[in-house]
Amino acid sequence: MQTETFTYDDDIVRKFAGATMLWSVVAMLAGLFIALELAIPELNLAPWLTFGRLRPLHTNAAIFAFAGNAIFTAVYHSSQRLLKARMWNDTLGRVHFWGWQLIIVAAAVTLPLGYTQGKEYAELEWPIDLAVVVVWVVFALNFFGTVAKRRERHLYVAIWFYIATIVTVAILYIFNNLVVPVAPLKSYSIYAGVQDAFMQWWYGHNAVAFFLTTPFLGLMYYYLPKAAERPVFSYRLSILHFWSIVFIYIWAGPHHLHYTALPEWASTLGMLFSLMLWMPSWGGMINGLLTLRGAWNKVASEPVLKFFVVGVTFYGMSTFEGPMLSIKSVNALSHYTDWTIAHVHGGALGWNGFMAFGMLYWLAPRLYQRPLHSKKLAEIHFWLGTLGILFYIVPIYSAGVTQGLMWRAFDKTGYLAKPDFVETVLRLMPMYWLRAVGGLMYLAGACVGVFNMLMTWKARPSRYADEVHEAPALAPEYSGEMPEPMMPAHPDHSVLPIFYKLRYFLRVEWHRVWERRPLQFTIWVAVAVIVASLFEIIPTFLIRSNVPTIKTVKPYTPLELMGRDIYVAEGCYNCHSQMIRPIRAETMRYGEYSKPGEFVYDHPFQWGSRRIGPDLQRVGGKYPDLWHVRHMESPAGMAPTLVIPGYFEFLPDWLKPKTVMPAYPHLLTEPADFAGVQARVDGMAMLGVPYGDALKDAEGLARAQAKKIGANIVAAKGPSGLEDKKIVALIAYLQRLGTDIKKVPGADDGVTSDAAPSDGAAAGVKAEVGRP
Amino acid sequence: MSIHSIRTKGETMDRVEDRLKDHEYDGIKEYDNPTPGWWNLLFIASFVFSVLYFVHYQLGHGTSVVDEYSADLEEATAVAAARALASASKEVTEETLATLAAAPDQVEKGKAKFLVVCAACHGQRGEGLVGPNLTDGHWVHGDGSLMSIRKVVREGVIAKGMAAWESQMPPEELLQVVAYVGTLRGTNVPGKPPEGEKAGPQGSSQDGNLR
Repeated sequence: MQTETFTYDDDIVRKFAGATMLWSVVAMLAGLFIALELAIPELNLAPWLTFGRLRPLHTNAAIFAFAGNAIFTAVYHSSQRLLKARMWNDTLGRVHFWGWQLIIVAAAVTLPLGYTQGKEYAELEWPIDLAVVVVWVVFALNFFGTVAKRRERHLYVAIWFYIATIVTVAILYIFNNLVVPVAPLKSYSIYAGVQDAFMQWWYGHNAVAFFLTTPFLGLMYYYLPKAAERPVFSYRLSILHFWSIVFIYIWAGPHHLHYTALPEWASTLGMLFSLMLWMPSWGGMINGLLTLRGAWNKVASEPVLKFFVVGVTFYGMSTFEGPMLSIKSVNALSHYTDWTIAHVHGGALGWNGFMAFGMLYWLAPRLYQRPLHSKKLAEIHFWLGTLGILFYIVPIYSAGVTQGLMWRAFDKTGYLAKPDFVETVLRLMPMYWLRAVGGLMYLAGACVGVFNMLMTWKARPSRYADEVHEAPALAPEYSGEMPEPMMPAHPDHSVLPIFYKLRYFLRVEWHRVWERRPLQFTIWVAVAVIVASLFEIIPTFLIRSNVPTIKTVKPYTPLELMGRDIYVAEGCYNCHSQMIRPIRAETMRYGEYSKPGEFVYDHPFQWGSRRIGPDLQRVGGKYPDLWHVRHMESPAGMAPTLVIPGYFEFLPDWLKPKTVMPAYPHLLTEPADFAGVQARVDGMAMLGVPYGDALKDAEGLARAQAKKIGANIVAAKGPSGLEDKKIVALIAYLQRLGTDIKKVPGADDGVTSDAAPSDGAAAGVKAEVGRP
Repeated sequence: MSIHSIRTKGETMDRVEDRLKDHEYDGIKEYDNPTPGWWNLLFIASFVFSVLYFVHYQLGHGTSVVDEYSADLEEATAVAAARALASASKEVTEETLATLAAAPDQVEKGKAKFLVVCAACHGQRGEGLVGPNLTDGHWVHGDGSLMSIRKVVREGVIAKGMAAWESQMPPEELLQVVAYVGTLRGTNVPGKPPEGEKAGPQGSSQDGNLR
């Protein structure tokens, strides 16, 4: 066999590592800022600084910028070594790197400006989505090209996890982001209501699985044994937990939609597959922690291992908590509360953050070819980070349980004990302050870390040494030991043959063959993921009874559609749900629980996942138009005067927090985009929304309805001149929300061309909402 | 006994602990340890539980989320009905309300509730904001008698944006709010200009009929 010499491309690894550090600080700064906005609502200083617009920036930055670059650092560094090959193409690596950073910058610009698809972690608008797909394909080409020219016959477990990541993320991202563009930076999801919600959480949950879990497990399987200098605990466990994760994770998405209008069989499957995920996930934790047997003395002295131990422990904690939260009755309490936020941050700060930092500390001396600037600073980073996580999650767990219990509390006479929603939020203020302190500590730790790396980098040699490696190329055909082709003879008749076969299967010796066939391996991963997805997707889309239609539910009028787009752009769904669960405390507070048929024209769905403000599904008709005007102008001015015993009594009245809702005065001054409404209505019509007359003159219809609302506001002695402003569109939408179901079938049959706010339709609305 | 040495019975195939596999990747070796017994057991248990759960709740007779809600609602309706029956014996009249309005502690409680639920629209002192001024002797709905105020508070005027509060607060609290609003009449706090019809300071009639 001919021996070949080669070098590794570490320059690209240095690039990704640097980007990881930069974006970690940016993502955490955004997080700290929005956390403070909940404690000090006055920080919502400008439209582009509001919580609703910045929260997606924080989540996208943490996931795609920080975790994303950390993943690429790990893949580009460890794959070359595990495959004994330089990355397939240096240029593709640079295209990948700069393309990804450009995408992040595009996100950082468009999200605060209100360009969003309105689905969590899938907010980026369609041109950016296209760029993501292109860059991901470049990444996949480069990775699989490297696999193809590898000099190591068998694939190590880290590579399996990378393969699962690349394949599955591509599938998830493409199918959840299928949209119809209606403007350069505006699109509508091709799915509506229940289906859109299903697709979103199929994606959302598996983004956690295949973006924040599998690549980090791959990372763990390389860097943890490297740093500990110990063999991996169990090869068999690696195989079993890898395949069970790939098979089971995909099914679990619907646990984000318990008690919603999603058909219950889907929600039940989501819960059960989440429970079955507990052990596969813990397989990773066990393999990580038990690899450290005999190396615990090193943990005490080596910051890298400290980060890994805490990271893997948080992984174990989160993957126990996840199945627990997916149990319906637990979820009834936790859903829409800060409990979810605490759960996510245990995972993100503990698992993703600490694994990434552990890896960076291990890499720094090797990448910059100088000893780490200061081990002491790394220790400080570790302790600041660990305490920061605790200060973050403990108060937020407390906030979640507190709010959940307040929502469902009844008094002796059978009325809601906390009928005023805002009280259930104001009670959390002290916890919000503590959480911000925790976040600040974690951020401070990260800054210490970045400083440490920067100093290490500054001391780098003038020219990096390129280590030359030697290895023989792979022969075209595998000629090593063949696997046992047959099962060994059954040795002992005391065991039933079936159990003997099962035991042979679970010993997974046969898996070795797969490990030298990357193509077959990749295909099986794809098949597992696609088949599992289709099992849930096909029934959700095909069975008509899943979404019983409701006769009185009609499309939004053009003006209401404009208002809905404003609702989406402002990111209202980040604080308000539109999904009332069939739980008595909930229907008493908000009204009749939500039915699947109510959302058939909702492209995208806006069910939300967190209630920092009340549910809005039945807000239509609840308040007069003028109330909404005043409320958007100054929410604090419209907030109830609450006397909460024991809270803020030490503060003077004018300093007492009254609400966390930001003011939206710009909606009263910015003109609504009447000229653009026709394209939006046409886009909706393309998706099958029966728009009828509105297709001909959407703008005229919108202006007519806006004029009426403007007149109503004036008649109620409110400000004049609002009829061409954004506020009227938003009011039109809010007043329509959840009202269709209350209408009498046939009552407005005179306007079956629907949607069009002809006088008849407006009269229909009038009976409901009531305008003087 | 450390955690990894707990074995299931089936592990007789290899008793050797920490036997290294014969492969290595960039210096990383792997042990051929079996999966821990408790891990196997819990994994299998989660499968068995899931199958049983699905069969019972989705294919069998297990109660659905909506069934549970309906049962809960039925129970609550029964409680509410009992409450309605109990309060039916105590008929509320203009006089009852006037008595309440004359009792400072009742008015104080009514004021506290008013600040929470009414002030957002009617102002901190009833001077009107989104909703009409309650102090100027003009009434949009009803004649300003305590009974007519009670009717509006209970049933709301949905078409005008006034919510129905009957289901939102216990009956005695609602009466206290009405009593407090009664004391606001004729205080003429400067605020929203008058809307509706002029009535006597204590209302022009005693029957509470709305126009």
